[in-house]
Amino acid sequence: MKDLVIPQAILNDMIAHARELAPHECCGLLAGNNGVVSRMYRIANIVAIEGAQNLSSFDSAKIAHLERLSPAERAEIAFVMDMQDFSTAKKDMRNHGLDLQIVYHSHPHDPARPSITDIKIATDYEEIWPKINLPIPSYLLISLMHTTPDIKNYWIKSGQVSNASFIVR
Amino acid sequence: MIKVRIPTPLRSLTKNQGEVDVTADSITDLVNTLEASYPGIKARLCDGSGELRRFVNIYVNEEDIRFLKGKDTTLKSGDEVSIVPAIAGG
Repeated sequence: MKDLVIPQAILNDMIAHARELAPHECCGLLAGNNGVVSRMYRIANIVAIEGAQNLSSFDSAKIAHLERLSPAERAEIAFVMDMQDFSTAKKDMRNHGLDLQIVYHSHPHDPARPSITDIKIATDYEEIWPKINLPIPSYLLISLMHTTPDIKNYWIKSGQVSNASFIVR
Repeated sequence: MIKVRIPTPLRSLTKNQGEVDVTADSITDLVNTLEASYPGIKARLCDGSGELRRFVNIYVNEEDIRFLKGKDTTLKSGDEVSIVPAIAGG
């Protein structure tokens, strides 16, 4: 598969988003055409809203962990996308003829690789994308654990993670 | 009859069924009908005023109800409804 192209300005904007929300996780979407990203959508992380953890596919251990934390602390270890924001972004993509390409989120304290929770939920979501008329995206992680952000992109299919390389220009 | 797709996190309420059939003429009616058969499901989907919670979405025939008439979106026999949980991770 051809490498995705992410413009430097969009990469910078994603890093800015991650830094603005740290120590909380940020999340969002990248869309474009023919493997070239042209638009970024910031999506609110609403994991702190009561009940959000119960409707996502978090496993029981993760839910127990989240429920031990205060609502403000939950966003340090998890994200749940605001589906109102998501719907608005999806409509904008449709209006502009763009395809969803990447789901991104940050790991303020951890490496840029998918957590067990990320892999489980992405795998559960594989059957949902076609039902909402979207292609299966790759998953981009922004780690802020070191001074220089580390950014990596992955395919997550049937519980298997593989590198999804991209070019910045 | 309307086919409703139930996402994994809610299947504990629907006796592990991934699809259920209901008769309903609107989304509000559908949620109430589901609640009658699967108690507890309404509170997971709607807030106290019956509005869809921000961490869930409902699609009717692949169209987002937030861009139809929300909870007042009408349904007819043969429609397919998907309950879509928020994208999430850790």
